[in-house]
Amino acid sequence: MTSTAQELHPAPTLEPGRTILELKGLEKRYPGTHALKPVDLAFKAGEIHAIVGENGAGKSTLIKLLTGVMPRTSGDVMWEGHPAALATPHEAMALGINAVHQEVVLCRHLTVAANMFLGEEDSRFGILQQRAMVRQAQKIIDDLGFDLPAHVVLGDLTIGQQQLIAAARATVRGTKFLIFDEPTAYLTRKEADQLFTLIRRLKGEGVTIIYISHRMEEVFELADRVSVLRDGTLVGTRTISETSEPELVRMMINRSIEQIYHKEHFTPGAAIVEARNLSGKGFENVSMTVRAGEIVGLYGLIGAGRSEFVTTLYGRHRKSAGQILWQGKPVQVNSEHDAIRLGMALAPESRRDQGLCLNLPVGLNLNLPIYKRISNNLLISNAQEKTEADRQIADLRIKTPTRNALASSLSGGNQQKIVIGKWLAHGAKLFIFDEPTVGVDVGTKAEIYRLFGALLSKGAGIILISSYLPEVYELADTLHVFRRGKLVATQGFRTADHEEILTQALAEKQEKLGGQT
Amino acid sequence: MSTEAIPAEKPKRNYNALFGLTLLALLVLLWIILSVATPSFASANNISNLLRQGSMIAILAVGQTFVIITGGIDLSVGAVVGFATVIVAMLINAGVPVFIAILLTLLVGVAIGMFHGFGIVRMGLPPFIITLATLTSLRGIGLLMTNGNSISINNDAFQLFSRSSFLGVPNLFWMVILVGIPAYIFLHHSRWGRYLFSVGSNAEASRLSGVNVQRTIYMAYTLSGLCAAFVGVLLASRIGIGNPTQAEGWELQAIASSVIGGTSLFGAVGSVHGPLLGAFILATINNGANLLNVNAFWQRIITGALIIVIVYFDGLRRRGK
Ligand SMILES: Nc1ncnc2c1ncn2[C@@H]1O[C@H](COP(=O)(O)OP(=O)(O)OP(=O)(O)O)[C@@H](O)[C@H]1O
Ligand SMILES: [Mg+2]
Repeated sequence: MTSTAQELHPAPTLEPGRTILELKGLEKRYPGTHALKPVDLAFKAGEIHAIVGENGAGKSTLIKLLTGVMPRTSGDVMWEGHPAALATPHEAMALGINAVHQEVVLCRHLTVAANMFLGEEDSRFGILQQRAMVRQAQKIIDDLGFDLPAHVVLGDLTIGQQQLIAAARATVRGTKFLIFDEPTAYLTRKEADQLFTLIRRLKGEGVTIIYISHRMEEVFELADRVSVLRDGTLVGTRTISETSEPELVRMMINRSIEQIYHKEHFTPGAAIVEARNLSGKGFENVSMTVRAGEIVGLYGLIGAGRSEFVTTLYGRHRKSAGQILWQGKPVQVNSEHDAIRLGMALAPESRRDQGLCLNLPVGLNLNLPIYKRISNNLLISNAQEKTEADRQIADLRIKTPTRNALASSLSGGNQQKIVIGKWLAHGAKLFIFDEPTVGVDVGTKAEIYRLFGALLSKGAGIILISSYLPEVYELADTLHVFRRGKLVATQGFRTADHEEILTQALAEKQEKLGGQT
Repeated sequence: MSTEAIPAEKPKRNYNALFGLTLLALLVLLWIILSVATPSFASANNISNLLRQGSMIAILAVGQTFVIITGGIDLSVGAVVGFATVIVAMLINAGVPVFIAILLTLLVGVAIGMFHGFGIVRMGLPPFIITLATLTSLRGIGLLMTNGNSISINNDAFQLFSRSSFLGVPNLFWMVILVGIPAYIFLHHSRWGRYLFSVGSNAEASRLSGVNVQRTIYMAYTLSGLCAAFVGVLLASRIGIGNPTQAEGWELQAIASSVIGGTSLFGAVGSVHGPLLGAFILATINNGANLLNVNAFWQRIITGALIIVIVYFDGLRRRGK
C-alpha cells in the first residue's frame, strides 16, 4: 500500500519543520449542522500537534475528513505540497495517513491478530497463515511494550485495551501521519504511559502526530503545538511553551473556569446501600456502604472488577455470595428491574454497547428510563416527553439540532452526556456512574460535577467509578481501591496522595490480562 | 458560545410523514395510470376487490412490523392464517357461537405468538429458526386435523360479513382501520411502542434503562400472532372454508409490504402507516398486472424489482443524500 504512495511522490525527506499536510479552507456540513467552517492549518513534519475544543467543536469531523471516512463539503488538503482528494480510507492509508478513532472501529468478533492485519492478511495460495499472523502480531505488541495477548478475540478485551490494539494496528502500516482521537479516554494511567512512550517513539522516527484530548495535562506533556477549535472555527494555534492551561480553556469555551472539580461536602446521612462480602464473576468478597450525601469512589486499573461489582449490585449479573442491604434491610436484587424499583440508577461504562440506542432520537434515549412516569396507563404525554428531554439537553448543554436528531449524529462527548442525563430526572436514591466523563469537555465536566452536588443535596448517594485518578481523588468522600477483583484499600477524602493510591492499585507486577472489565 | 440553543434548520424528523406521503403519492400514481390504461380498473367492483385483497396482507404486515422493529422476523404468519381458518371452521361447524369461535381462534394466535416469545427468550433460539419451525409444523398439524381436506363452513352470516360493505367500503377494509388505529396509537404514542424501538436498537442499553426486554419481545410476537389469527378469521369468512394450506407465501408478502413501507430489517425503524401503504401498493400491482394480462410470472419479477428500488431510494434518503 505504501509503495503506491511512494511511486506517486518521492519518499519525503523528513526535515523537521517542513509542512507535510496543509488544510486550505477545509469545510464540512452535515444536514442541520455546520460542523467545520473553513479551516486553514498547516502541520509540520515530525511534530506532535494537539487539537483541543469543546464537545461538538468539530475535532473528530476534521479527522474523518483527513482519513477519507467522510467526504468534505469544500476546501483543499495539500499532502506534501500536492492536492489530495482523500475520498476513501484506502487512499488516505496509501499516502501514509492513519488514525486511531474515538470509537474503536475494529471487528469485535475477530482475534487481536486478525484485526491487526485486517485488509492485508498474510496468505499463501489463498490460505491464511493464522499462526504466523498471531506470532507476528504478538511480536509487534510486545515490541510496543503492551501487555496483551494476540490470540484472543478482540471483544474479550476491555475498551481501553482495544484502544491500544487500534494504536498498535495504526503503527504497522507504514505510517507517516498518525492521528489519535481521544486515545486515553478509556485508558488507565499505566496504559496511557505505554501509549505516550509509543507516541514519542513514533515522533523520534519522524512521524507527524495529531493528538486530540480533553485532558490538558496530556496536551502539555506531549505536544509541540496546539490548535483550538470552537464551534467549527479554528480559534488559534499556539506553541506549547508559550501558552498556558487557562489560556487554552478560555480559547475553547470563551470564558474561564476557576475550578473544575466542584466539590460539596455534606454530612453523610443514613446508609442507602450496603454490600456485605459480595462476590460474583470478576470480584470477590467486597464490602462497602454508601450513605446519603456521599460520593464513594472506586479506583483501580481497568479489569480490576469495579464494573462487575456495580453491575452485580444493580442486578445485571448474579452474585455468587454475600448480601445486599437496602436502607438497612436485606434485599434480593435479581434483575435490573428490581434495582430500579428500589431506587438505583446506573450509567454504564460503554456508551455504545450499554448506554445508548444509537439509531434512535436523542429524546427517546433521554426519556427511556422514565416513560412509565410520563405516561398514563395508555398514552405518553407528548408535552412531558418534550419538556423532560429539552431540559436535559439544556442542563447538560447537549449539542444537537433538536431532540429528534439521532443519537449517532452527536459527537462522542455529547453522546456521553445522554448516558448520564437519562438518569438525572429519574429520582433515584443511589446513582452509579461508571466512567461518567469519558470524552466530556472541561466546561461540561464542571457542570456534571455540579449536578453531582445537586443530587447529593437531595439526599442521594453516588458511586463513582473512574480510571482517571484526579477525578475520584478530588470528588470521592470515601475512596476504595480495587485490585484484581478485590477491594484492597480504603481512604477518606484526600487522606492519601496519588502515589500511594497508584501503588495500591498496581501492587505487584501485572499479569497478562485475558480480558474482563 | 454553545450554551445557547444551537441554530438549526427545520427539524429533520418529519421524515416518517414525508416518506408516508411519498408512498401515498406512488399509490395514487399507480391508480391513475391503471385507470387510464385499463377501463376495468376504476370500476367499483374492481376497487372493492383490490381493497379486499390488500386488506388481509395489510393487517399481517402491521403485526410483522412490530416484530421487525425489535430486530426479529416472523415467518410463521402465513401458516398461522391457514391454521386459523381451520380452527374457526371447525368451531363454527361444531355449533360454537360465531363470536366465541372467533375469540377462541384469536386466542390460538396469541398462544402461537407466546410460544415464539418463549422460544426466543427462554430457549435462546433465533427468531428466524423458531418461526420457520412453526411455519412448517403448523401446516402439518392443520393437515392432520383436517385429513388434508377442506372444511366448508356452514354459516352464511359468517361468510356474508367479508362480502358486504359498510358505507360503500368493503368490510374487510374497515377491519384494516379497526386494527390500524389502535396499532398506530400503540406504536407511536404508548411507552410499549417506544420499548419496541429501543429493544430493536440496543437491547442491553434498554435493559439497563429498566425496559423489560423479555416482555417486549413476547409482546411483539404475540401481537403478530394475533394479527395473523385475525386475518385467518377474515380469510375463512371470505372463502367460506377452512384449509391449512391457504395463505401460502403470505409471510413473504407481509415482510415485503413492511419493508416497502420503510421498515428496516435491522430493527428500530418502522411505522404503522408505511406497511399499510406498502400492502396496498403490492395489491395494486398484482391487480393491475392481472387486468393488463401480464404473465403471472412477470408479476413476481416486478414485485421483486419494486422492493429493491423502493428500499434503495429509502436508504439513499436516510443517509441524507
Ligand atoms: N454523522 C453526523 N450527522 C450529523 N451531524 C453530525 C454527524 N457527526 C457529527 N455531527 C455534528 O457535527 C458536530 C461536530 O462533531 P465532532 O464529532 O466533530 O465533534 P468533536 O469535536 O469530535 O466532539 P467530542 O469532543 O464530543 O468528540 C457536532 O455538532 C455533531 O453533532
Ligand atoms: Mg470527537
